[in-house]
Amino acid sequence: MVLALGNDILGDDGVGFHAARSLGTEFPEGVDVVETGEAGLALLDHLEGYDRAVIVDAIATGRCAPGTVLTWRAEDFRDMVAPSPHFAGLPELFHLAQRVGMHFPQDIRVIALEVADPTVFRETLTPQAQAALPAFVAEARRVLSEEWGHAPRRTACTSTL
Amino acid sequence: MDNTVQKVWDKAQAKANEGYMRQRKVSIDPITRLEGHGKIEIFMNEQGNVDRAYLQIPELRGFEVFSLGRPAEDMPQITSRICGVCPTAHHMAAAKALDDLYQVEPSATGRKIRELVYNAFMLEDHALHVYVLGGPDFIVGPDAPKELRNIVGVIGKVGLEVGKRVISMRRRVREIINYAGGKVIHPVLGLPGGVAKGIAPSEVAKFQEIAQDGLEFARFTLQVFHDIVLKNDAYLKMITSDAFTHKTYYMGMVDKNNKVNFYDGQIRVVTPEGKEHSKFPVQDYLEHIAEHVEPWSYIKFPYLKKVGWKGFVEGEGSGVYAVAPMARLNAAEGMATPEAQKAYEEYFKALGGKPVHHTLANHWARVVEMLQAAERLVELTHDPELTGKDIRTLPTKTPKVGVGVVEAPRGTLIHHYETDERGLITKANLIVATLNNSARIAMSVDKAAKGLIQNGNVSDGLLNKVEMAFRAYDPCFGCATHTLPGEMPLLVNLRGADGSLIREIRR
Repeated sequence: MVLALGNDILGDDGVGFHAARSLGTEFPEGVDVVETGEAGLALLDHLEGYDRAVIVDAIATGRCAPGTVLTWRAEDFRDMVAPSPHFAGLPELFHLAQRVGMHFPQDIRVIALEVADPTVFRETLTPQAQAALPAFVAEARRVLSEEWGHAPRRTACTSTL
Repeated sequence: MDNTVQKVWDKAQAKANEGYMRQRKVSIDPITRLEGHGKIEIFMNEQGNVDRAYLQIPELRGFEVFSLGRPAEDMPQITSRICGVCPTAHHMAAAKALDDLYQVEPSATGRKIRELVYNAFMLEDHALHVYVLGGPDFIVGPDAPKELRNIVGVIGKVGLEVGKRVISMRRRVREIINYAGGKVIHPVLGLPGGVAKGIAPSEVAKFQEIAQDGLEFARFTLQVFHDIVLKNDAYLKMITSDAFTHKTYYMGMVDKNNKVNFYDGQIRVVTPEGKEHSKFPVQDYLEHIAEHVEPWSYIKFPYLKKVGWKGFVEGEGSGVYAVAPMARLNAAEGMATPEAQKAYEEYFKALGGKPVHHTLANHWARVVEMLQAAERLVELTHDPELTGKDIRTLPTKTPKVGVGVVEAPRGTLIHHYETDERGLITKANLIVATLNNSARIAMSVDKAAKGLIQNGNVSDGLLNKVEMAFRAYDPCFGCATHTLPGEMPLLVNLRGADGSLIREIRR
């Protein structure tokens, strides 16, 4: 599945949704695409029952240039300790799901786009995020098609007809 | 003025100007901001002791600008997107503001469906808090090693089965919310005068079963709290310790019998002695609540207008008040359901009578409230009106002003909209739960810092203790954080008498 996290009224925080919409068109079959504005343990409901998941989200680490695409695997978060569901989210979910033996994706890729400021109330992306969107989508597409073997749908606009 | 004082003064002045400019910016820019990352500023005096410590928490700024010109009916969808943790609270406060805006009383069935959804949400959110957020402090224990102070540690202590139970109970209770609101990114439930979708009689048996399981889970949680927390003298001592105590006013919503109500009622405020100070319909909130502004923070500090702002001080003469579970129990004369009432009485008896001023008691008060939410769920699922066909009263009047209130898990949440005659927003003001608590949170952080930094020595436990001081309030700053998963962006700046940065503690 593809799970998009974010908030579409906080500008670039909604970049995951933009990516998800495009991936939903490209992979109409075999990949469920879900968008959610929820956080924390609510995400368990979305991920449960899947074998593999790509999570797309905006991130503001402040350590890379806006527009950088960052990727992790769930295992990368294993040593982190998060004290609150408000902050924790993903790593804590992985621990918890594993611990209680849920049917949870064994292969989770977190693909995040570094954004400058995901705290601005507006419904559109900044030009920087807009420009980085193709690369962001491409990384998710690469995982889905090259690594996991899902064939993207060919559209009239593709040059590979 | 001597030099040092002058410098501090100039610095404060500069900050005030900066804050003012930022505010100015909001009014001219068609965007608004959500700010704050759990930043704590500690100002030291020349002796190396704490002069004043501040916590910066995020505030919705100029949300008004974003809402202007939009149809009021969109507000339940828009505001539910403000927070990924409690969309249901915003959605419901907005729906109630719409009732008021169109001067329409929801049909009995519409109201009961809303109440059903809302109590389901309270139960689920409180359960999460007890096990996941409060858990590290209480169930695992405040002195447990850092690597155990998380949900995995909690499960280690209460057992795997309980962990599974928490997860499955949560999911099942959410089925009720999803059925009524739709499992979509923006819930569609509340409309002026009622709800968008009724409950099919065929669903009732399932909902009754879920409600009953929820009640058993709440009972079980009270038992866990007894076994692990209350049988431990060290915990009780910590709850009642001076470091986590402030004698302030308390605010909460009550029904006509002055019992706790999460969905509807009047707002009641009690004094630090527990006497009724005021009781008012939410429409009058501007007569009772005013907001104080400090130069060092862009966040506003609401206070009781009739008492007045006297600074970050406790006592009857200071308008500082608190909301959230502990405050709700203080502000009411009891719980609305029998088992919760029993738990309520026990709570006050164990903590030395009413009102309770110990911030950490919020964790216990939350368990008492879980019981009420669950008992109310059981009642509602057995109410024949729940499946009625008349789910909405159609509004016919011209809209003008609407104010709605609910008790969110984290405290009183007020939505206030004004519109033109077509129902397009001309003004929107939200008082979110954490904002009501902002002055008291600032006092708690200040007290914790003062206890931990003496004569220039900064205790290593600073972060944890300061965190505990504000974590009990469960301040909502989740929406503003987009840092690397797993890192809580807590930042402590220690500043000297001249305002210069001495040390930065970051995690």
